[in-house]
Amino acid sequence: MKINQNSRRDFIATTLVAGATLAGCATKNPFTAEEIPDVKPSGEMVKLLSVDGEIIEVDKAFLKPVPELPAVMNTAAREGIAGKKFVMVIDLSRCKSVKKCQTACNHMHHIHPGQNWIKVYPMQEAEHTAPYWQPTTCMHCDEPPCVKVCPVDATFKRKDGIVLIDSDRCIGCRFCMAACPYSTRVFNWEEPKIAKEIADKPYSCETSVPQKVGTVGKCDFCPDMVRQGNLPHCVSACPNGVFMFGDLLEDTVTNGSETFRFSELIKDKAGYRLMEDLGTKPSVYYLPPVNRNFPFENKVESGEEEKKA
Amino acid sequence: MKPYLKPKAMRMKNIFKIIAFVVYLIPTVLLAETVEKNTLVLGVKYYNDNNAVQHLVISAKSKIDGKFQKIANIAVKVFITSDADKNNLIGTGITSERGEFILLIPPAAKTEWAKSATQNFVAVSAATKLYEEARGEATITKAKIKIDTADGKIVNAKLLVLTDSVWKPMTGVEMVLAIKRLDGNLNISETATYTTDSAGAVTGEFKRDSLPGDSKGNLVLLANVIDNDIYGNLSAEINVPWGKPLSYTTNYNHRSLFARRGHSPFWLEFLAYGIIIAVWVVIIYLVFQIKKIVKLGLE
Amino acid sequence: MDKLREDKIIADLLPQEFGKQGKIWVVCLLFFAALGVFAYGRQLYYGLEVTAMRDYASWGIYISNFVFFVAISLVGSLITAVLRLTNVKWSTPLTRIAEIIAVSAITFASLIIIVDMGRPERFYNLFLHGRLQSPIIWDVIVITTYFFISLLLLYFPLLPDLKIMIGFKERNGKWLQKLYVFLGSFWKNKAEQFKITDKAINILAIAIIPVAFSIHTVTSWLFATTYRPGWDSTNFGAYFISGAFLVGAGGVVIAMYIFRTHYKLEKYITDDHFDRMGKVLVLLALLYLYFNFNEFLVPAFKMKKSEEDHLLGLFTGEFAPIFWFAIFTSMFIPIFILLFKKGRKPIPAFIAGILVVVGSWFKRFLIVTPTLLHPFLPMHDVPANYHHYIPSWEEWAIAGGSLAGALLVITFFARIFPIIPIHETILETESHENEKHF
Ligand code: SF4
Ligand code: SF4
Repeated sequence: MKINQNSRRDFIATTLVAGATLAGCATKNPFTAEEIPDVKPSGEMVKLLSVDGEIIEVDKAFLKPVPELPAVMNTAAREGIAGKKFVMVIDLSRCKSVKKCQTACNHMHHIHPGQNWIKVYPMQEAEHTAPYWQPTTCMHCDEPPCVKVCPVDATFKRKDGIVLIDSDRCIGCRFCMAACPYSTRVFNWEEPKIAKEIADKPYSCETSVPQKVGTVGKCDFCPDMVRQGNLPHCVSACPNGVFMFGDLLEDTVTNGSETFRFSELIKDKAGYRLMEDLGTKPSVYYLPPVNRNFPFENKVESGEEEKKA
Repeated sequence: MKPYLKPKAMRMKNIFKIIAFVVYLIPTVLLAETVEKNTLVLGVKYYNDNNAVQHLVISAKSKIDGKFQKIANIAVKVFITSDADKNNLIGTGITSERGEFILLIPPAAKTEWAKSATQNFVAVSAATKLYEEARGEATITKAKIKIDTADGKIVNAKLLVLTDSVWKPMTGVEMVLAIKRLDGNLNISETATYTTDSAGAVTGEFKRDSLPGDSKGNLVLLANVIDNDIYGNLSAEINVPWGKPLSYTTNYNHRSLFARRGHSPFWLEFLAYGIIIAVWVVIIYLVFQIKKIVKLGLE
Repeated sequence: MDKLREDKIIADLLPQEFGKQGKIWVVCLLFFAALGVFAYGRQLYYGLEVTAMRDYASWGIYISNFVFFVAISLVGSLITAVLRLTNVKWSTPLTRIAEIIAVSAITFASLIIIVDMGRPERFYNLFLHGRLQSPIIWDVIVITTYFFISLLLLYFPLLPDLKIMIGFKERNGKWLQKLYVFLGSFWKNKAEQFKITDKAINILAIAIIPVAFSIHTVTSWLFATTYRPGWDSTNFGAYFISGAFLVGAGGVVIAMYIFRTHYKLEKYITDDHFDRMGKVLVLLALLYLYFNFNEFLVPAFKMKKSEEDHLLGLFTGEFAPIFWFAIFTSMFIPIFILLFKKGRKPIPAFIAGILVVVGSWFKRFLIVTPTLLHPFLPMHDVPANYHHYIPSWEEWAIAGGSLAGALLVITFFARIFPIIPIHETILETESHENEKHF
């Protein structure tokens, strides 16, 4: 199956330099990866110094960063990145409820104070089962019930599996909130308290910024970061490497410091998804909370966090 | 974090300010301004990709509330050699939201670069309203990696270091052999790192069978030296046809209940439009009946 | 029938100007409606923040009110269509009451849904970007359709009456006369015209039944198409429809009583009507009770983990007082009252009607809120006030305002048009007398 070349290009433009395109150096390999010829030179050449002290010219299109990658248009944001299928793996055995993920997410998306897109639940299935922390994001369901019910296409499923919200279209009926079994959606009941210069920016489905009054918001898997070749904010913020993100079609997930082959990881650690019985087919996988070498301390129950709320 | 304490703390701060103000009322108004400044830490990292593109990543951070945070909008000047002289300036930049920026090493650095096998990069920022002036440095020795493959899915990489104007193999350096992936690189086998032998070489076996590549099954292999104290970050890459051709299907254009507008399942469209048309035909018929009554009445 | 008797019927049934009571009633309604508009102004200005709805209880009494309005509007089809088709003659005086209740309720149902929207100014997106897959779009379509059918069903039988009204030029005054002329000057009591309207009314009576069923079924699907405990039920469509029949019939009994005493219509809306409506009400309440048993007993028997908190919350927990209040007032007590012949006299029947309607309103509240407050994952990482839902004064004012608005529409309709079909009543009396002759 042929992969849409345009979107492939988006990725390459962000990976630092393709060897074969450089003048003079790097032996040309017979097996040219398909991605490289896809990148169309911009014609704008950048001169730089090589390690050998030679001056070489490289087309700007092959360099990172393309300073301030322009935000994609609404239509492109609705389609998503072809040839990708994003997944997340959350390792419950590592989560200590440090909540750095939440802080980073709230900060980067300018979420209204008090609301959270990422929640870290203290879970205990039954009286005699072990308690554990369960961070939840949007599951980016493959058969998303929230998308099924949206009357105006304001929340939609993309080619790359991400479910996003168009806050410029949402009518605020909140049907999607009722439909989502993971309680992941939040609503902007009042004008979100965000800095003026952020609030004045045009809304982008990919950054989900700025949130708008009278519309829904939720975790977006940070496709803007992905487009720039970076990991979602929660993934890079977690000090314990709980979150792993990647492309299912590449069969790889990473938390920034460790990289795993997705299929092996899920097989070895018996990964599972939440509420499989509902048939929502989430894109977020969980690794069970086994072999934890730290105690489960619920500050909420011991009353420490009550005062916050 | 106990936010409810904040107002109190702020009040205390204000009280101190007032006291300070009273005490130093006459001689200094300056004092209040200088107290608040934070120290800024500038980081410089060197990258050499594919023995061609050399660049630096300059980062700025500062300890705020006891934690290091990335600082945006810091203007930084970068010099080659430790002496921050105008002539050695190789570029300037402003840190982004993520507190960093990338600087490609420009041709302007050519003469300095040629002088020695060891190079110094210095980043300097002037004092701003919030931060004191800062300086960061990196010293690297010129090095490069050669990567190649052999039969039986073997990856060979070699580290060469410039010594006395000759590229010589270097032993005892940790290297990573990996497959290039979207956000992180997947090691070619369970071995996390390899150490170069006396010939400066490492050899690894590719064990990621049937890992999806591109549509032809091509993969990009990488040999990396990561954050080395002497050599910085080095990388070299090569394409190999060792992957599984990617077969990719999407149901994006399928008709389904969760598809977009205009892509609802046929049964739903038939059902819905059928019912709508049937009922509205009746309604329109009745409206015409009203017209008929009107006509009859006017006769 | 002699001319005299006919004139008497006409004189009795002509709409009358508001008396003192009427004026007070209208002023009260206007006050509540204005309060609702004021509260809505605040909501537009500050956003849905002024309500008590939050991320968990993301729907509140607006949606309850919406369901209630949709339910009560179903009555139009019950009285007019079902009774018409089954050739039940005694219902003639009730048809127009039922129809106007239907029209005004469905109008306010659509208004209240706009009130519930976070971005009402984007309402046009429903037409610009409407997705056929969404039950909301189905609801929009059926509600519009039902509104037009109800309007037609109101209009056709009105035509002969309009002719009668036009005859009273002096009495009408300039504006009303203009309105009557505009609506019905072409009606000449011709046989062909009657033939067309009779046929049209028959078609409508048939067409309105499936449409009325679908508006309530689709409304129930807004809930039943989600996974949530308490909503995830295949029983929901039928459950909603039976509930709607009940509250609608209750509404008609109330309206019958008020029009009867206020306009002195004892001759037309007789004790017999109350007796029969009382029986209908008992039947419908039993039916609804049956569905309630299904809806609560079956899940309670299994006590699935996800349902447990929700069900216990209703039976013995946080919502138990409202739950038992609603069950008793909307079903048990009215059944008890109306089972007795004496209970089907106008006054007790009227009280039973009020109980049914009030109980049903709270029943709608219980359908919406407790479910939302019992999500699959526990409520967590939200401010403390997100855990509960107690409607704010703005919500009460808007909900109350919409009810007042619906009543205003009915009141003004009764001021302008004969609330009991004059022409049909005359025909009815005639045929009655003919029967006697033979
Ligand atoms: S988790 Fe909820 S919001 Fe996210 S895709 Fe699934 S149903 Fe939609
Ligand atoms: S609240 Fe917005 S996104 Fe959610 S269903 Fe309604 S219109 Fe769609």
